[in-house]
Amino acid sequence: MSLIHLEGLSKVYRVGDQEIRALNEVNLRIEEGEFIAIIGSSGSGKSTLMHLLGCLDTPTTGRMEICGNDLAKASNDELARVRNREIGFVFQAFNLLPKLDVVSNIALPLIYAGVPSRERLARAKKAASDVGLGDRLANRPPQLSGGQCQRVAIARALVNNPRILFADEPTGNPDSATGRMILEMFDALHASGKTVVLVTHDPSIAARSRRVIEIRDGRITREYAP
Amino acid sequence: MNLLVAISIGLREIAAHKFRTALSMLGIVLGVSSLIATMALTRGIEDGTRIFMQQMGGLELVSIVNKEPSSRKYEFANLSPGRTLRDAEAIRRSATFISHVSPEISLATAVATDGGGNPDRRMVRGVYPDHFVIAMHQIAAGRFLTALDLERGSRCAVVGDTVAKNLWPGIPPPLIVGKSILIDNRPFEVVGVLPLYEMEEQARARRSGRSLSRRWDPFRQKNETVLVPFTTMFHELRSGAFPLDSLETMKLETLTVRVGDLDHFRPALDQVRRILDTTHRGVDDFDLETRQDWFDRMESSVRAARLSGGLISAISLVVGGIGIMNIMLASISDRVREIGIRLAVGARQRDIFWQILIESILVSLLGGLLGILASLGLIEILKTIAPTENVPVLTPDSILLAVGFALAAGLLSGLYPAAKASTIDPITALRYE
Ligand SMILES: Nc1ncnc2c1ncn2[C@@H]1O[C@H](COP(=O)(O)OP(=O)(O)OP(=O)(O)O)[C@@H](O)[C@H]1O
Ligand SMILES: [Mg+2]
Repeated sequence: MSLIHLEGLSKVYRVGDQEIRALNEVNLRIEEGEFIAIIGSSGSGKSTLMHLLGCLDTPTTGRMEICGNDLAKASNDELARVRNREIGFVFQAFNLLPKLDVVSNIALPLIYAGVPSRERLARAKKAASDVGLGDRLANRPPQLSGGQCQRVAIARALVNNPRILFADEPTGNPDSATGRMILEMFDALHASGKTVVLVTHDPSIAARSRRVIEIRDGRITREYAP
Repeated sequence: MNLLVAISIGLREIAAHKFRTALSMLGIVLGVSSLIATMALTRGIEDGTRIFMQQMGGLELVSIVNKEPSSRKYEFANLSPGRTLRDAEAIRRSATFISHVSPEISLATAVATDGGGNPDRRMVRGVYPDHFVIAMHQIAAGRFLTALDLERGSRCAVVGDTVAKNLWPGIPPPLIVGKSILIDNRPFEVVGVLPLYEMEEQARARRSGRSLSRRWDPFRQKNETVLVPFTTMFHELRSGAFPLDSLETMKLETLTVRVGDLDHFRPALDQVRRILDTTHRGVDDFDLETRQDWFDRMESSVRAARLSGGLISAISLVVGGIGIMNIMLASISDRVREIGIRLAVGARQRDIFWQILIESILVSLLGGLLGILASLGLIEILKTIAPTENVPVLTPDSILLAVGFALAAGLLSGLYPAAKASTIDPITALRYE
């Protein structure tokens, strides 16, 4: 059985009397341990798909199964549980809490997993040093560079040891040191057996994955191995 | 999410917006402090009245008081002689359930030793021997007034402890008995001296040499009294003041009777009422006032005070609650993005709900705490204003009650913002700028 299974998945936004079909009858299977890149032009529906996969949003129609849970009609609590335990999500816009320092930001998912505070701290520190931020624990996001924020976001996504990592445009410039480091991290995660799904504009990043899915106007138009 | 995390998040949020939070707390601070102060004030009044009651004697006592006659009988009202010695005598003779009768008239006048020292102005009372029981007197030396004194109208007097000590400093009561005093320049013989009446705590303080300053003394009146036979009072001191009055027709100042047995309380009242109906010629210009009535009246006035104070507090608490709700609503619209992020990493709706609710409870509890501090100051101020017999008394249960109300205000005012925050949709929230 597939780790992720989408069938006839659609997302329709209604703005006034205009209907925007952000996703249109998407069918997709993702197996455990895959490394997938989703590409497509701006506005093609990549983020919409990722939000559905990340259990942040619910589809208008269609079926969606993740880790054996039928989520198209799941309760809010069920979605929260999957977000917390099974999924790590790296947002296009980082989405860190500016008032919290690096450790507290990384430890956030552990609070809602009910992890005791001492263990939260230890695991958050470990995750921070895994992304090379072991020496910036007490800094707050406004004091960090964009690349560093991106790494905090990745550490937060990984801290609860999820089976799947979703990342929406995580790399910034792939030629920068941070970009290279992040890509190497994804490689390593893939090698360690995690399922990685990332969204990118950049064909050279997509080339690092094992399976590329191209989206246009809310539909999967092409699929290939690089 | 556990409670501690929610509390620490709440505290951090409060610390980040100190001024805003302080403003929103104001209503709660006012409500809590006024509630505690009201409770302390009414408690003080209760305590003062209770001591007064104890000093006034037990439930057996019934006062006969003047009353406006009902309108139906108004035109006959001048047929009634009012409360006179006739009433007292009639009750004494024919009310079998009444054990003691004490009519009283008084005169504030000069009292001095016959050596001619400086006279003190004292309240001199003309009483019956029954006054001894009804006013719950004891005797330190000598004897109380007797029926014979009354019958003869003899010039004898019983003096209170303070009076004796002022007139003859340092002389023990047994040696005072037999001395002469001048009441309104007429010589009287002191036949008895009353003991020093004091409250338990005063006695203790006196024995251990401390002084209880500024404390109301409910026994002061008893200690400063000078008692003479009723007849003597009329003939020697009051005659001429009202030339048309005789001993029988002069109006009494107070008339108090004692019911012999509480089991026959109602029948005793009926007897008295029937007798007075006759002596007052059917005019209902009197009323019987039991100590229970006094107690009830005091209770209802304390209740009224408590109610009006409580109302002010309640309004402040409601206003405070609205203030908190307002601030919480402002706070969540500031924090839509934060809430979205928390939801995205796995917070459930109820985690958000509790976080907001606990935050609003924290604000109200903090306000409650400040309110308690403010009430301490308020009570200190009230202590200097309130009459000494009613010093406000701070009780722990009033603090508990006030904190309870503050808590409830925080809880109620947090519910709506919390519910609103918990229904925020994560994607919308993350898009929110
Ligand atoms: N909340 C919304 N309401 C209305 N339309 C929306 C909403 N969210 C997305 N859309 C529309 O859905 C379509 C897909 O948007 P989506 O964000 O998935 O694009 P994307 O592929 O991630 O683009 P980009 O590469 O620029 O991030 C767009 O046309 C967008 O305008
Ligand atoms: Mg996007």
